[in-house]
Amino acid sequence: MEIEADTTEREVQPYAGFDRGTFLAWEDLRVIIPNFGKGPTKRLLNGLNGYAEPGRIMAIMGPSGSGKSTLLDSLAGRLSKNVVMTGNVLLNGKKKGLGYGVVAYVTQEDVLLGTLTVKETISYSAHLRLPTSMSKEEVDSIINGTIIEMGLQDCADRLIGNWHLRGISGGEKKRLSIALEILTRPRLLFLDEPTSGLDSASAFFVVQTLRNVARDGRTVISSIHQPSSEVFALFDDLFLLSGGETVYFGETKSAIEFFAEAGFPCPRKRNPSDHFLRCVNSDFDIVTATLKGSQRIHDAPNSLDPFLNLATAEIKAMLVEKYRRSTYYKRAKNRVRELSIDEGLQPPTQHGSQASWCKQLWTLTKRSFVNMCRDVGYYWLRIIIYIIVSICVGTIYFDVGYSYTSILARGACGAFISGFMTFMSIGGFPSFIEEMKGIMMMTSGFFRLLSDLPKPVWRYPISYISYGSWAIQGSYKNDLLGLEFEPLLPGDPKLTGEYIITHMLGIELNHSKWLDLAALIVILICYRLLFFTVLKFKERASPLFQTLYAKRTIQQLEKRPSFRKMPSFPSQRHQPLHSLSSQDGLDSPLN
Amino acid sequence: MRSNSEATHVGMEIEATTRPSGATLPGLSPLSETLWREKANTEIIGDVSARLTWKDLTVMVTLSNGETQNVLEGLTGYAEPGTFTALMGPSGSGKSTLLDALSSRLAANAFLSGTILLNGRKAKLSFGTAAYVTQDDNLIGTLTVRETISYSARLRLPDKMPRADKRALVESTIVAMGLQDCADTVIGNWHLRGISGGEKRRVSIALEILMRPRLLFLDEPTSGLDSASAFFVTQTLRALARDGRTVIASIHQPSSEVFELFDRLYLLSSGKTVYFGQASEAYEFFAQAGFPCPALRNPSDHFLRCINSDFDKVKATLKGSMKLRFEGSDDPLDRITTAEVIRTLIDFYRTSQHSYAARQKVDDISKVKGTVLEAGGSEASFLMQSYTLTKRSFINMSRDFGYYWLRLVIYIVVTICIGTIYLNVGTGYNSILARGSCASFVFGFVTFMSIGGFPSFVEDMKVFQRERLNGHYGVTAFVISNTLSAMPFLILITFLSGTICYFMVRLHPGFWHYVFFVLCLYASVTVVESLMMAIASIVPNFLMGIIIGAGIQGIFMLVSGYFRLPHDIPKPVWRYPMSYISFHFWALQGQYQNDLRGLIFDNETPDLPKIPGEYILENVFQIDVQRSKWIDLSVIFSMIVIYRIIFFIMIKINEDVTPWVRGYIARRRMQQKSGAQNTTIAPDVLTQSPSLRTYVSTQTK
Repeated sequence: MEIEADTTEREVQPYAGFDRGTFLAWEDLRVIIPNFGKGPTKRLLNGLNGYAEPGRIMAIMGPSGSGKSTLLDSLAGRLSKNVVMTGNVLLNGKKKGLGYGVVAYVTQEDVLLGTLTVKETISYSAHLRLPTSMSKEEVDSIINGTIIEMGLQDCADRLIGNWHLRGISGGEKKRLSIALEILTRPRLLFLDEPTSGLDSASAFFVVQTLRNVARDGRTVISSIHQPSSEVFALFDDLFLLSGGETVYFGETKSAIEFFAEAGFPCPRKRNPSDHFLRCVNSDFDIVTATLKGSQRIHDAPNSLDPFLNLATAEIKAMLVEKYRRSTYYKRAKNRVRELSIDEGLQPPTQHGSQASWCKQLWTLTKRSFVNMCRDVGYYWLRIIIYIIVSICVGTIYFDVGYSYTSILARGACGAFISGFMTFMSIGGFPSFIEEMKGIMMMTSGFFRLLSDLPKPVWRYPISYISYGSWAIQGSYKNDLLGLEFEPLLPGDPKLTGEYIITHMLGIELNHSKWLDLAALIVILICYRLLFFTVLKFKERASPLFQTLYAKRTIQQLEKRPSFRKMPSFPSQRHQPLHSLSSQDGLDSPLN
Repeated sequence: MRSNSEATHVGMEIEATTRPSGATLPGLSPLSETLWREKANTEIIGDVSARLTWKDLTVMVTLSNGETQNVLEGLTGYAEPGTFTALMGPSGSGKSTLLDALSSRLAANAFLSGTILLNGRKAKLSFGTAAYVTQDDNLIGTLTVRETISYSARLRLPDKMPRADKRALVESTIVAMGLQDCADTVIGNWHLRGISGGEKRRVSIALEILMRPRLLFLDEPTSGLDSASAFFVTQTLRALARDGRTVIASIHQPSSEVFELFDRLYLLSSGKTVYFGQASEAYEFFAQAGFPCPALRNPSDHFLRCINSDFDKVKATLKGSMKLRFEGSDDPLDRITTAEVIRTLIDFYRTSQHSYAARQKVDDISKVKGTVLEAGGSEASFLMQSYTLTKRSFINMSRDFGYYWLRLVIYIVVTICIGTIYLNVGTGYNSILARGSCASFVFGFVTFMSIGGFPSFVEDMKVFQRERLNGHYGVTAFVISNTLSAMPFLILITFLSGTICYFMVRLHPGFWHYVFFVLCLYASVTVVESLMMAIASIVPNFLMGIIIGAGIQGIFMLVSGYFRLPHDIPKPVWRYPMSYISFHFWALQGQYQNDLRGLIFDNETPDLPKIPGEYILENVFQIDVQRSKWIDLSVIFSMIVIYRIIFFIMIKINEDVTPWVRGYIARRRMQQKSGAQNTTIAPDVLTQSPSLRTYVSTQTK
């Protein structure tokens, strides 16, 4: 009820409480990777101070491995489990966990359903997350407003596209991902390299829209990698990191002055951001060393270049030192202190999705149904394959009859259908699942009669777990009971179905075929429940472990004097993870 | 040897000067020249450098609806030895098409007119002279950098060359590309962490410069790299150019440092030349045209900003959403659309000094008829290629856990499962059916699991395709090497799992019965491999491949004579061709005979007479007992050969027939269209763009 009351108030004044916006400040932020016993502890971030204000867009820049993503993650409260964070992250002066809704985080990958149009994607997401109490018109106006705000009106009715459907461009996808995040009007927006993989025009478009989002009174923080000149010019504030330390924090425009004062002026024909990164990217040391080693610098370029005489490691150290003594640092520190004692602002409270459970269920079902309908590879392909295979099976066992050999044929037919055809359901999944099914099938009672199965292991647990065994028993009973077959030698009495089932197939007739079917359904429900439990467990239990782990680590670290060393650490984030399915751009529908 | 090559050299030089218009000369390949020069330690005697010019180059593409579109229009330019030329332009401006046109790699539905001359001659680009580095690095992840390069060297360098020389060449290539620090690191794949993206790109380049080509084409060598790696790659390319090579690369959004390394810049927008000349003078050119680059801006960013018409769209949309706050800007680009800017620049270039100078230079270069550079390609013999490939592929398989080791583990686990379920099956009445189903499970589902290696094979195919396109070796060598290198693993897998199964179940005792069982299993698993290989040649997508492979095997299993007895299978389709095509059928026929013949089984009740195995074979399983089981086995072995031949034929069809058909259709469409519109098509001989076919044939010769 409280939430509802809160939201109605929100509707009247959509930006109520936003008048002063959200101030985010961080003080002495340190992130370390503890490494018990083995090797030195790795420091990802080392005593960072900074703040972000509403109405402004901040860029976090630095060479790869400098801790951009770590800083973004620690501000957004998304750090991975194996690292420990100390220091304060203050939201409007309060040290508070950032809930969903207050902050939005746009990841580097765009996780979108390829078969939906842009407008559908936004509207399903709106229905999933906006409060149920909102009227249809209000929801529609939010959807349309967001589409226009993100400049998606031209492609609103186009499909997003997947591996076999050509859809919208990469820049449009990125803007769509941002649109989904700003639907709930978050006050803080984090973005992880929103322009990676985009050409200059699309990158410009994305950052321009972000700037507009910021101008609406929101706080936007984005990590960015090698921006072009136009894109760089759009950022208000710059946080330049190298090796986890602040090289510069302040207004973007003043950064050029700062570098000039430090003795590294930006050459005229250079993009300032390229220059900054060139100064602090220690990879260039390696490059220069290797190039010198292979004696390949034939025409040693302009020796006026200070970089050839100075290692970037030195430049970086000079800059860090210079920054620490600069007015920018003092100003930042003062502002952070100001923001941290400012208690007049209420940290916004908002929790998760505001839509009711029923509405969520309905929207999700609808969305997933639409997706399955449109995706040829999801079910349609399988339907075609199933029809073809069952026509094959049908013609092979055409009119099977009641002769003696048809007894075996009926058995084989049942086994093939319940075995091989369910096998096809997993067609695309990695082969080990097929392997598992292979074992399940073997115990289902066709390849080895149930009564012959070795009792320990095979008969008792596995053949009862195996869905194949229930399916096959049920289908045999369904098929054979009540039929009569020709005997092997003419003249003998006819064989009844009951006789065949009990004597030839070794199945007990204690329970009916309906019980078998019921068992099958129970197994189905069990698998779904298992899936649910695993998901829930991952979600619930892991933060618990994480806190325990962090506490333990801090305790351990306090005892250790030697954790002052600071080796460089490569970012884990950008390791391309080539899953098998990504080889052809095929993602599991689960994602 | 040395004096010999010297003699040829001198001879060649004389010929080149005396008969400038002579036909193909028996010149030295760039590689031999380099080697010779390094050994003799003298300055260049024969000029084997490559001067490339192109004049009024137009490329027309036929779309599926018969429309034609000019992708490139009237381009003129040149590339000289010792320079690094960068092709730049917004996406869709024709950078890649120009690169493809210059390197004769155009698709079959693209038609080229104009002249491309190499050293003043209209000869088709021979592909040993020119190397092409594609955008994606298809490398074998389990090999180290040094191994990758040295295997490639052994695949392509002449057999006669001493080992030490080859090694020296490999080492010098590693140093030239600055790879010495990571030379012994594995390249890495999806589960193995290896070298970085920039290092991978440099390995790809190293493989192409191994044969010391004079002309090097690169398609976006810096895409996906961070600034330091991109700088490194570009720096090495510049160094390669300084060695007297001609380097042409398309580059997308270079950073300031990278841009400073370009010698010459070719700026394209929608297929037209915006600028061609010294990269350092482009700055001045834009200022003269009225679009000076603002201070503190990367010139290349500025150039691309000026000619990228996408910015018009961006601005229009932003204005449409009424969100753009017009923060008063003094940028001239904000007052005028990029379409206009492009038009102004193209006109300005056409009348500029740069354009005039370029045409003059092209004419000058064309007049000098230089040496005809001999095709390099692979100089290794077929045997050497097959041997090296086998070795490389064996090492890859033994290091890639997912290729065979994982399968070995799973096979052993599954056969132990089978073994315990059918443990000591005996000769009771019930064991008749049990033996039958055991055999059918082993030959049906166990062989089915061989599909698991398909993804690794698809990866292999990608490497194969890249190397074949660059003429490293032929299809035959690949098929032979793959067969040979997989053999030890398949033998190991089937030997172990066959043995476990045979002795746990206690199938028909006797050494030859055991040998037959294992051989039959080996043959069946290899057939599945060959079948999947044939499928991979038709469907490159690995998910579709697995589905199709599973479907085919399912049908084979159905008609194998177990699920439905052989005599009951309907005759028309299923029995007559299908069951005889199915390898399961032959495997079961053989294995039933192998297992049952000679055994005597109990009857249902002890008082009834015992049942001989022959009776069961004929009446219960309906096996053709006239045919020896060894014949059945040899049929399976011949299937292996047949599938491999199918694979071979499919690859050949893909590379020979398909481009030809596509080109033919495109030409027909264009003729129909032009017949209706009565426009002329370029009458030049060059209208027929060289397809992959001609390219591959020059390689194999």
